[in-house]
Amino acid sequence: MGSVQFLMKLRERIRARYEEYLVIVIETLASAIIGFSIGALVLYILGFNPAKIYLILFSKGLSNPDYLLSKSTPIMLTGLAFAIPMLAGVFNIGGEGQLYIGALISLIVVTSTHNSALGILAGMVAGAALGTFKAVLKVYRGVNEVIAAIMLNWVMYFLTLYLLTEKLYNPQIPHESIPVPEDARLGKIPTPIGDIRLIFFIAVIASLVIYYILYYTNIGYMLRVAGLSPKTAKYAGFNPNLAIIYSMALGGAMAGLGGSLLLIGYVYSIDTTMSTLYGLGFMGIGVALLGRNNPIGIIFSAIFFSMLIIGGEMIELLAGAPPELADALTGVIVIALALPYTYRMLISYMRIRRMMKK
Amino acid sequence: MSEEKRKAVEMLNISKIYPDGVVALRDVNLTVYEGEIHGLLGENGAGKTTLMRILYGEIKPTKGEIRLFGRKVSFHGPWDAIRHGIGMVYQHFTLVPTFTVLENLHLSFTSVEKKISENMIRRKAEKLMKEIGFEVPLDVIVEDLPIGVQQRAEILKILLRKAKILILDEPTSVLTPIETRELFKTLKKLKEKGITIIFITHKLREVKEITDRVTVLRKGRLVGTVETAKVSEVDLARMMVGREVFLKISKKPAKVGRKVLEAVNLWVKDDRGLDAVRGVSLDLYEGEILGIAGVQGNGQKELIEAIAGIRPVIKGRIIVDNVDVTNRPTVERYRLGLAYVPDSRLVGLVFDMSLVENTILTNLHKVLTKTKRILWDKASEIAVKVVKELDVIAPSLSAPVKYLSGGNQQKVMVGREIVREPKIFIVAEPTHGLDVGATEFIRKTLISLRDKGKAVLLVSTDLDEIMQLSDRIAVMYEGKIVAIGKAEEFSIERLGLLMGGVKA
Amino acid sequence: MIDDIISLTSSTLIYMVPLVLAGVGEIITERSGVVNIGLEGIFVLSSFTATIVTFATGNPYLGLFSGTIVGLLAGVLHGIVSVYLRGNQIIAGVGFNTLAYGISIMGLVTIWKQHGASPSVSKIPMISLKIREGLTFTISPLSIAAILIAIGTWYWLFKTTSGLKLRACGEDPKSAEAMGVNVFRTRFYATVIGSALTGLGGAYLTVGWIGQFTRHISAGRGFIALANVAFSNWNPLMAIVGGMIFGFFDVLSIYLPIKIQLIYPEVKITTLAYLFKTIPYIGTLAVVSLIIGRARVPRALGKPYIKE
Repeated sequence: MGSVQFLMKLRERIRARYEEYLVIVIETLASAIIGFSIGALVLYILGFNPAKIYLILFSKGLSNPDYLLSKSTPIMLTGLAFAIPMLAGVFNIGGEGQLYIGALISLIVVTSTHNSALGILAGMVAGAALGTFKAVLKVYRGVNEVIAAIMLNWVMYFLTLYLLTEKLYNPQIPHESIPVPEDARLGKIPTPIGDIRLIFFIAVIASLVIYYILYYTNIGYMLRVAGLSPKTAKYAGFNPNLAIIYSMALGGAMAGLGGSLLLIGYVYSIDTTMSTLYGLGFMGIGVALLGRNNPIGIIFSAIFFSMLIIGGEMIELLAGAPPELADALTGVIVIALALPYTYRMLISYMRIRRMMKK
Repeated sequence: MSEEKRKAVEMLNISKIYPDGVVALRDVNLTVYEGEIHGLLGENGAGKTTLMRILYGEIKPTKGEIRLFGRKVSFHGPWDAIRHGIGMVYQHFTLVPTFTVLENLHLSFTSVEKKISENMIRRKAEKLMKEIGFEVPLDVIVEDLPIGVQQRAEILKILLRKAKILILDEPTSVLTPIETRELFKTLKKLKEKGITIIFITHKLREVKEITDRVTVLRKGRLVGTVETAKVSEVDLARMMVGREVFLKISKKPAKVGRKVLEAVNLWVKDDRGLDAVRGVSLDLYEGEILGIAGVQGNGQKELIEAIAGIRPVIKGRIIVDNVDVTNRPTVERYRLGLAYVPDSRLVGLVFDMSLVENTILTNLHKVLTKTKRILWDKASEIAVKVVKELDVIAPSLSAPVKYLSGGNQQKVMVGREIVREPKIFIVAEPTHGLDVGATEFIRKTLISLRDKGKAVLLVSTDLDEIMQLSDRIAVMYEGKIVAIGKAEEFSIERLGLLMGGVKA
Repeated sequence: MIDDIISLTSSTLIYMVPLVLAGVGEIITERSGVVNIGLEGIFVLSSFTATIVTFATGNPYLGLFSGTIVGLLAGVLHGIVSVYLRGNQIIAGVGFNTLAYGISIMGLVTIWKQHGASPSVSKIPMISLKIREGLTFTISPLSIAAILIAIGTWYWLFKTTSGLKLRACGEDPKSAEAMGVNVFRTRFYATVIGSALTGLGGAYLTVGWIGQFTRHISAGRGFIALANVAFSNWNPLMAIVGGMIFGFFDVLSIYLPIKIQLIYPEVKITTLAYLFKTIPYIGTLAVVSLIIGRARVPRALGKPYIKE
């Protein structure tokens, strides 16, 4: 199929669903605007100048491309970890724990084998295993996935903490884990905008692969049908339970990948307070929601949130405001994104007013 | 000497336009006198239920005025209507299914008297039941009761609240003929007590049997209000549809071929774990339409779901084209040439997906490469075929099917199965909720399928449909086939009796 | 032996308070048909508020009250988003958790220039019963209050008319509406009351128990409370039992390492303690997986009620 035809089909598809797309764009923009407005209010109450803070946020956030894109890598992947099960109808907020175990297992594997590819693979398998476990609990024991995810997040947190402080610490630098061996580290590759870490490109490729799986394979189709209408999935002969398990396994693998890439290609060791890992799973939820659970959208959303995080760090340095502002902003944006119906109601309301005038 | 009767209900110039642009009602007027049984007649989608829901305060009209006994009223919700003495019995009851009857009565009574004890309710209910002469078990959980009894509980609930105006929405659609007769007796008794009754239906027979006057709606507009005694069923039909209704579809005699489907002593459970199908055996041959008649809830749905493979079989066997497929996955049966169109579009379609994506729902293996990649080009070709053959009107192939009208959605569901060229075509309630044009089209399509030598298994609660289309008819009652034979052996009366459990 | 039982029991009664209060609160909310998974966020925010107020006024009761108010306000927000704006309840809850965490830490840093913990504040005094020399049975007055609230809620939900109406909203809102119940209003109030109770539980964390606000003051307790709701089969009386079971796991995670250290002084406990900290979570998960099978969820839970 030629690229011209592809573009034409794309245009037709967009035009047919233009109203859908319009609503999506409005929702996304509106929630971001609401988020920033409330953030400004909170800053003002706490005694800061919102304009000054936001200026630092945006300008510093975008100033270093490598930093920006590297920081976006793990949250892009935890974003996928939330989005894939979401499309199949499952709320996976366990990206946090899946990322921890991914990082942990890949640390163990890469330090013993000196092979980064193996380390990455191991991390993905670990994340997938954790995801599958939760899916099995849901399917066979009816355990609510939100509770299972949070419980396992904390179990993974303390387990990792224990292993880091007890077995895997670096004797020379006790507050860090043993480092990834030099010969197994992933570095940067040159691009027109400077040297960018390889892990970013791996993450983008992963996103594109997921996109392909979701929209061009039978598994992806089955997942999406099960997520949109489990009854229809059964009618078509799909097993909705399999959809739950596959999507959680795939999502877990992505989060695990995020942990491994972060470790092997960026921080090269985990500090024993786990500060570099903490919160990335939850950020991923915001990334996925803003990216509308679409892998392509998630790529851009991850970069946006990365900007927020970096900006947040900078405002602590430059203005003394707490970096948790990024969390607060994320929280409000997520709440605003919980309101799709409101915007649709607005648009329908406008349409019915037009009809009454006729 | 005729006394000037009070106008119990006046609905003046009512219009209702929904946010998505659908016009449900346009300038409808309705006047109901006190103490009469007033029929509200129209096809599916004519606006009857919407009009009554506006009267009941459930829906706000976009325009118009309502008067009760001469006084203008404006309801903000059903509780307002209830306080003014209006009660509505829906097709889908407003009883909390997981509560007992008594708890439901209690709940509903609290809108009249805020604080009342359960014992007081029990006493009131027992007193009322004696007065009216029908019984409802008070301490049973509602969803465990048969539908006819649930409906009586619903009516009891309303009467307990001292309703003066009773609205019934298609009450007989879930009843057997015997239960229907009981209901009509009850309604006549209530009329004697001065209660005003509005009776929504699309069944002409019922209008003639029980109503004093009848208002006919068509496509959201008022056609007219007439005295029942002064019109015939044909007159009413013409008002309802707007043209001469041809109730007969001509079809050639059946050319029956070999046996393609066999069910042997099937036992299937329903969602609640009870036996829904109790030892059903049937055969289906090429080139014929076998119609399964019966009131909703007698096991038909579970039977065809089991044949399609969506529901597990407890006992018995299913043989498709000489292959035993009992408990084999659905996909395998589809591949052997079985096609199934469910009774609900919610089940058969994914509303948020496009027409193309819905087309491949049961055709997936046709558009997959060896590496499990979906060939969207091929899928589009199939979708185009469906659109052409079934004359589907859709904004575009990529638009989500929720934007199609009900009739076109049905066409997609049916068409998708037809282009698969299946051997066996199982279809449930194919024309439910469709307008006359779409109904005619689908019925003609089913007949042409049968003429092409396909085997058609039709499940329908619409007796006219069964009689028009079937070559052979089977009647299901309480999970068993109580009669099976050539269509000529069945009259409407005999079918009605069989469906009601009477040996005929 | 007896000493251990006494102290374990009294500790359990102290630990269970937030789980019972939030559990009962969420039972009210979920019985009306709304699911609020922002309990964790409410815990963090209300405990933070209680700490500030108690720090400023020196009065822990005021702190308790302010925490409850914060919970109430959170309930108003969730109620508006979930009930009136028909938003996605799970996503709103997740967002709120992140928001509450962000605001609290921002406040912690701004007010006290601390990243880990606030200074200590006065607490609501515990009730102690001296059994003999060296052994006292200590619980918080809120332990008793929590149990009474649970019993009272059970009575309200199952023995009164208003409770019947609330439960109808959670089982079949269309029927409830048709029978004259204002579903929106009932669900909204149920959400507000439930969140207020959770706020009370959160405030207790700091001014009734720990005595200071820390970054991990809640550590997932909000989600354990959610597990308690399911475990209790949406019955407030069972929520007391559940709260005690889950609270007991929490107690174990502290006591076991100490006990083991006493018995085996050679074993290095400090890092092993991390493993023990997983007990409440594994325990909760185990309970939920093994027992929940036969739960009776309110039929309309989590689905926004849409009128035409």
